[in-house]
Amino acid sequence: MLAVKGLKANVGGKEILRGLDFSVGPGEVHAIMGPNGSGKSTFAHVLSGREGYEVTAGSATFEGQDLLALEPEERAQLGLFLAFQYPVELPGVNNTYFLKAALNSILKARGQPELDAVSFLRLIKEKLKILHLDDSLLKRAVNAGFSGGEKKRNEIFQMALLEPKLAILDETDSGLDIDALRVVADGVNALRSPERSMIVVTHYQRLLDYIQPDHVHVLSKGRIIRSGGKELALELEEKGYGWIDAEGQAA
Amino acid sequence: MNGVISNGFESWLAAPPGQLAGAGLDWLDDQRRVARERVREQGVPTSKTEDWRYTSLKGLLEQNFAQVDEAITALQPDDLEDILIPGLDSHRVVLVNGRYAPELSVLGDLPKGVRLGGLRTLLDADPDALRDRLNRIAGDRQPLFLALNTAGLDDGFVALFDRAAILERPIELIHLSVGMDEPRVAQPRHLVVLGDGAQATLIERYVSLGESLYCTNSVLEIALGRDAVLQHDRIQMESANAFHLTGLYLSQDTNSRYRGVNIGLGARWARTELVTRFRGEQAECDLQGLYLAGDRQLMDYHLDVAHSVPRCTSRENFKGILYGKGRAVFDGLVAVARDAQKSDAAMSNRNLMLSESAEVDTKPQLEINADDVKCSHGTTVGRIEPEMLFYLRSRGISAPLARRMLCLGFAGEIIQTLSAEALREHVSERVGQRLESAPLN
Repeated sequence: MLAVKGLKANVGGKEILRGLDFSVGPGEVHAIMGPNGSGKSTFAHVLSGREGYEVTAGSATFEGQDLLALEPEERAQLGLFLAFQYPVELPGVNNTYFLKAALNSILKARGQPELDAVSFLRLIKEKLKILHLDDSLLKRAVNAGFSGGEKKRNEIFQMALLEPKLAILDETDSGLDIDALRVVADGVNALRSPERSMIVVTHYQRLLDYIQPDHVHVLSKGRIIRSGGKELALELEEKGYGWIDAEGQAA
Repeated sequence: MNGVISNGFESWLAAPPGQLAGAGLDWLDDQRRVARERVREQGVPTSKTEDWRYTSLKGLLEQNFAQVDEAITALQPDDLEDILIPGLDSHRVVLVNGRYAPELSVLGDLPKGVRLGGLRTLLDADPDALRDRLNRIAGDRQPLFLALNTAGLDDGFVALFDRAAILERPIELIHLSVGMDEPRVAQPRHLVVLGDGAQATLIERYVSLGESLYCTNSVLEIALGRDAVLQHDRIQMESANAFHLTGLYLSQDTNSRYRGVNIGLGARWARTELVTRFRGEQAECDLQGLYLAGDRQLMDYHLDVAHSVPRCTSRENFKGILYGKGRAVFDGLVAVARDAQKSDAAMSNRNLMLSESAEVDTKPQLEINADDVKCSHGTTVGRIEPEMLFYLRSRGISAPLARRMLCLGFAGEIIQTLSAEALREHVSERVGQRLESAPLN
């Protein structure tokens, strides 16, 4: 589904990703862990096509296409979704209008019929129920004045609606208390399916108590230095990143 | 009796005064004569004239607009089909090229104490109803375009509300311009008087059939009595080749409330002057504005809000979207007199620039001569945030649609202050259409 080979990327002239190899198969959930500054968020942004990142080497193939050659909207239309660490507030842009524009843009790009207002509202009510969300969310401007928890839930709600093939959750746990974290994790788990893959980017192990990954990777200085099962996350939690860094340098 | 006008506007006043509405009424003839003098003695404003520093009259003076000299009677109600707003239920007054068109108007049932219609009609039928009201708020020392309008005063729209009269449905004033063989100038003169405790909603629309070249120079005087309430939506969608001038002169008595929403989308060159005066305490004046200045289009706003008595509140909130070689001017003055303690005023002008070559001159000014007041002003000139654009694109939305959504989000704050849902939809749709055709950089 996703294959990344030897990926190198600069931000502001500084090399952050230094030859990253990584691949995801259908239905798999991968966790990427690492200390601050290891390149986790940069990796998520490069995959989603954000400006300001310069890819200097390597490749990323998604669904058989050269991902790096596509515009951000084309990546989304192909089935990629990024749940933002800091969801952006869009004052004046109504959430329902936004969700409908997004879904219909994706359907249109795939040559499928767009939804009219009635079927769209029916769909959206159904998704709200699955995620136990209040429909007052729909009347508000996108993320404007939302609490940290509401913003993250709105991200997962968008994911539920757009049904991506590959979702990247960028530090979805940051800024959430344990109750909010559980609600978000439940939402994510409800969306797990054999056709949907996920990359969970996180600094802390605690999110992985709720979203159990199939694979765990440790990122350090722009490279994956260890890969393993979910027990690797526990090991990290116990020993801290210093252990990995020391080992990384030794290796 | 008539002084020779030699500043390029002779043709605007070509009609002999004897043919104008109410000719022979001494008070009205006097007003027109004085205004003609004012036109003559002022000459043409130049870039050295403070009020015209940022706005050139060159393009306007190059045109040789002739005065509209006959009423257009060929239009049928069907011709209005594309102009009417679906779902907007109103008392409709239609003017064509400045002239009241009774055959196109649908006044509907009016309660006792409410008079609506054409100025010329009322001048013929009951001139005394207008005698102490017309030209009262506009005053004597009239600037050029107000004086030109007064000197040629002939027809327009009138709404007179007696004490405590309330109209539930909005009044919709449609000023329709129809292209003629040669470019014409229409100078409609409107008057709205709400007695004490009266309430109304007025939707004032400037529209055209086709994209012809013409000029509108409209003047509206509004007097609000004690406790009167007026919501006033102004939608300027003139032809893309038109020149549009409008002056609003507002007088507010004690505890009256006025909200004016100024939407400027059309015309190649548009100038709006809003002049408000508080006559009694605890009155509120809320001026909202949204303008789109597209390629080679000028949107020029001048606000003059005088807090001359204590305890009044005013809001001036204008937002602009500019693209191509669009230009806008926002020149806002809030003046608080020495005795006007407890005045509360907040003025804001925010601009969203979609191109490098668009330009805005913004000059909000507070002149405060009292010491116990709450006054603020702020202005911003910015671009679309890349973060916001990326967020939308990451959800599959194309860059052009994402830009439009963000612009509409920016405009939405003003659009939502319009009085009716049908109107809000109409304006949003037109703003969206304009942005769709906008070349982005």
